[in-house]
Amino acid sequence: MKLMIAIFAGALVGAAVSAPAGASPADGKKVFEGQKCNACHYTDGPAKEKSIADQLAKKGPELWYAGSKFQRPWLEGWLTKPEIIRSLAYNSLTDKNKGDHPKPAGADAKNVADFLMSLTTKEVKAGKIKPKRSLKGRLVFNKKMPCTGCHRSAGKKGKVSGGISGPTLIGAAKRLNPDWVFAYLNNPTFFKPFKAMPTFAGILKAKDIKNVATHVSTLK
Amino acid sequence: MMRTAKIILFAALFLPALFAANVGAAAEAEQVFKFYCAQCHGLNGKGGGPNVTKDFPVTPRDFTNTAQMNKLSDNDIRGIVMDGGPSASKSPLMPPWGKTLSDGDVDGLVKLLRKFCNCKGKPG
Ligand code: HEC
Ligand code: HEC
Ligand code: HEC
Repeated sequence: MKLMIAIFAGALVGAAVSAPAGASPADGKKVFEGQKCNACHYTDGPAKEKSIADQLAKKGPELWYAGSKFQRPWLEGWLTKPEIIRSLAYNSLTDKNKGDHPKPAGADAKNVADFLMSLTTKEVKAGKIKPKRSLKGRLVFNKKMPCTGCHRSAGKKGKVSGGISGPTLIGAAKRLNPDWVFAYLNNPTFFKPFKAMPTFAGILKAKDIKNVATHVSTLK
Repeated sequence: MMRTAKIILFAALFLPALFAANVGAAAEAEQVFKFYCAQCHGLNGKGGGPNVTKDFPVTPRDFTNTAQMNKLSDNDIRGIVMDGGPSASKSPLMPPWGKTLSDGDVDGLVKLLRKFCNCKGKPG
């Protein structure tokens, strides 16, 4: 019995030591729930959408793999100073995004970022994509495939063009984890079972999926 | 006499079910269209979805254009929807949906486009 207590106490101390002071995902989770972020975002995976109707019922993007999708500095910055990512209101083809996303204050944002960055998935394997110039990837993005039909991006001279039904890819280099982009393009329904974006896996060659993920990861 | 009664009973029991199934399929096709196609072709099918801004280089087909839509057979439509614009020497901005939509979805869309154009198209 004493031994058990000792082991238990040891485990507790160990856990306390491994979580850096003042930066615990658990604190962030409390903020997330307290500020009702979960009214619009779900954080427990795997994907829950079973139909188009389920997707349309959502009020904001799913965040259950946020730690695999986003880059930490971007996430923390965006939470305190959100900028419009989707030009249209979520799930709408007619209304504009009003840009009125809730803004948790500094310390809360940091804790929420800790919480969101703890939500990872093994589907995203590290080290697959190195962001670097990919002429082949750019060709796929701009010419061979309809990516620009739905996504904004900035050309070499900074000229912005492209459709607006998809999230903007301007700034993807700072916002998205390149390995997530690759995993998403390879197996999109794992993350988004019902999405207005076509599945390109099985249409693009494996090499071109890699090339286009590399290109997206350089978009400023 | 007995036979007619049986037929009427049969019709009364099953026609509403058949009708409901048809309405259900049409409503489903409409949902599929709004979710995947309207972003470019517009909610009314006329080619003016939110993606079609000034710098969109080709106009997505206006599905209410009877003359143009009559040039396509149902199979032509199926092919271009599954394999994308380049499969029919058209713009790559028309995406390939073959890995996204089921055969049933595409059949529903063909019927819906025929409703938009109020036309039957080329046979085949
Ligand atoms: C009323 C619904 C609503 C609430 C409440 C809400 N969000 Fe959001 N959130 C959205 C929508 C809609 C977007 C997409 C914004 C855009 O594209 O510009 C979004 C985007 C995000 C993103 C970026 C996700 C992505 O894939 O682009 C994060 C991170 C996020 N929200 C975190 C939070 C946090 C943290 C809170 C609580 C402080 C919160 N949200 C509260 C609706 C909401
Ligand atoms: C028909 C419109 C359409 C086309 C074509 C399209 N996308 Fe998308 N894309 C979307 C939409 C809509 C989403 C958001 C899906 C969701 O969250 O439900 C998206 C999401 C993404 C994301 C994730 C962005 C984020 O912040 O969540 C990436 C990366 C992406 N697309 C890359 C591409 C690439 C690369 C291509 C071309 C090979 C492409 N897309 C073609 C509509 C499109
Ligand atoms: C990213 C924008 C985009 C999306 C999304 C899109 N289309 Fe298109 N579509 C186009 C463009 C652009 C053309 C015209 C291509 C051309 O004329 O070269 C086109 C052409 C077509 C044509 C060929 C008409 C003809 O005369 O040959 C059909 C059929 C069609 N689309 C059906 C659909 C269906 C069904 C969907 C939804 C599953 C859909 N499209 C989604 C952009 C889009």
